[in-house]
Amino acid sequence: MNIFFLQFLLGILFLSIFYLHLAKKNFGAVIAYSIQSLIITLILLTSFLETNSFFLLFVVLVTLVIKVILAPIFFLRLIQRHKLTFSVSTYLNLPLTLIVLAGFTAIAHSQKFLSLTNIIPVHHALLSLALSAFFVSLFLIINRKDALSQAIGILSLENSIVAFAIFAGLEQSPMLQFGIIFDIFIWLVIATVFISMIYRHFGSLDTSSMKHLKD
Amino acid sequence: MMIFIWILQLICVPALSPLCMGIIKKIKAKLQNRVGASIFQPYKDIWKLLHKDEVISTDASWVFRFAPFIIFATTIVIGASIPLFASFLKNTLTGDLLVVVYTLALGTFFLALAGMDTGSAFGGFGSSREMTISALAEGCLILALFTTALSIGTTNLFVISNAGMLLSTQFFLSTILAFIGFFIVLLAETGRFPFDNPATHLELTMIHEAMILEYSGKRLALMEWAVANKFFIFATLGANLFFPYGIAHSVDTHAIVIGIIVLLIKIFILCAIVGIIESTMAKFRFFRLPDLLITSLILSALAIGLIQMQIL
Repeated sequence: MNIFFLQFLLGILFLSIFYLHLAKKNFGAVIAYSIQSLIITLILLTSFLETNSFFLLFVVLVTLVIKVILAPIFFLRLIQRHKLTFSVSTYLNLPLTLIVLAGFTAIAHSQKFLSLTNIIPVHHALLSLALSAFFVSLFLIINRKDALSQAIGILSLENSIVAFAIFAGLEQSPMLQFGIIFDIFIWLVIATVFISMIYRHFGSLDTSSMKHLKD
Repeated sequence: MMIFIWILQLICVPALSPLCMGIIKKIKAKLQNRVGASIFQPYKDIWKLLHKDEVISTDASWVFRFAPFIIFATTIVIGASIPLFASFLKNTLTGDLLVVVYTLALGTFFLALAGMDTGSAFGGFGSSREMTISALAEGCLILALFTTALSIGTTNLFVISNAGMLLSTQFFLSTILAFIGFFIVLLAETGRFPFDNPATHLELTMIHEAMILEYSGKRLALMEWAVANKFFIFATLGANLFFPYGIAHSVDTHAIVIGIIVLLIKIFILCAIVGIIESTMAKFRFFRLPDLLITSLILSALAIGLIQMQIL
C-alpha cells in the first residue's frame, strides 16, 4: 500500500486523538473516537488486501461493528440518558495541555525512541506518529477529570497500540485480535455501567469527586 | 499578455472581496431561515458610502484623515504580492512572506492609531483589544506560514504556491496542523467569530467596529472595503499556500481561466466554512481568546517540529 496513503490515515488518527484534548462537548469526542476507529478499520483492511486472509477480513468486520458502530452508540446513549452535553474540566488548562502534547510528540519523534520507531526503517515516520498518538492518548486519560473522556482515552490508547503493532509488523493471529476486540466489547459494557453508577452516586462524571468515598 | 495578467492580479482583490462578505452574509441568513440581502449588497453599500458626506471630529489629527487611505493601500499592495490565480508571477520585491505579514501589521497599526486619535472611549478600548489580539496572532501567522516555507525551502509566496501539493508528500500532517493554526489566525485577524462579531455595535463585545465608529462617508467606505480585502487576502493565502490546486503555472489563457475559477471555488468553500462557524457558535469571552491563539501557535510549532524531524 502507498506509504503516503497510510501516512494520511495515521495523520487523521493522530488529529482525532489531538481533538479529544480540545473537545468541550462529549458528542464531539465520541464522533472523533468513531472516526479514529474507522481509520483503524481501514488500516486493517489494507492489511487484508495485501494478505487476502479471510480471518483478517472477519477481524475487520468485527472491528467495524464493535468500535465504529457499537461503542459510539453506547457512549451516545449514555450522554443522552444523563444529559452529559459538556465534559468536566481538565487538570491542566488548555495552553499547558497543548505544550505537553507538543512535548510528547517531539519526544516520540526524537532519538530516544529510535530503537522502537526504527523497527522497520521504511515505516519510521509512521511508527513515530503512532507512538505520538499513544502518548497523546495516555495523557488524555491522565489529564481529563470525567469518566467518559477517560473511557474514550483508554479506547484511543488501544487504537494507537493497534496502529503501532500493524506498522511495526508485529503479526498477531486473527484469533488473538478477535479475542482483544471481544475483550474491548466486554470492557465497554462494564465501563458504561460503571460510568452510570458514578453519575447516579455523585451527580456528575467528575472522578476527582470520588475522593469523598474514603469517608 | 503579462501586463494584462498583472492588471488582473491588481484588481482581483478589491473587485472580488465585497462578494466574499456578501456570500458569508447570505450563508448566515440562509442558516437562520432568512432570505437575506443579495450577495452584491456590499458593493451597493460601498457605492452608497462613497457618495455620502462625512463628519470628522475637530480633535482628529492627520492620522485619522489618512489612516483609511493607508489601510486600503496596504491591502492593495498585499493583493498584488500574493499568488492569486497564477504562480509564475515572480514578485521578488513584495512577494516575500515576511513583507506580506509586516505590511498587514502596518495596516493594523494605523487602524489602532486611528481608533485612538479622536479620543473617544470606544475607539480607545477597540484599539486596545485589537492590539492584544494582533500581538498574539502575528506570531501564530508567521509560524503557520513558515511551515510551508520550511517544506519548500523559500519564503517567496509565489515559489511556495508553484511547488505543488504539500498534502501528497510526507509533510501531510504538518500541512494540516499548520492550516488549522492558520485558519484560527484568519478568524482573529479578520475579526470574525469567535474573536469578534462584525455585526454588532455592543460596547462589551466589539473590537473592529469600535475603532471605525467615528468614520463616515468615503473614509468609512474605504475602511469597510479594506476589511473585505483583508479577508480575501487571508482566504487566498490559506487556499493557495496549503492547497495550491489549479493555480496557473505558465502564461497560458486556458490555465489562467482555470486558475481564476478554482480560486473562486476555494474562496467560496472558505466563506461557507466561516459562515457556518458564525451561525453555529457563540463569540468567546475576551479572556478566552488568547487560549485559542495559543492553540494556533502550538499547532504551528508542532508542524514545524515535525517538518524539521522529517528533514533530518
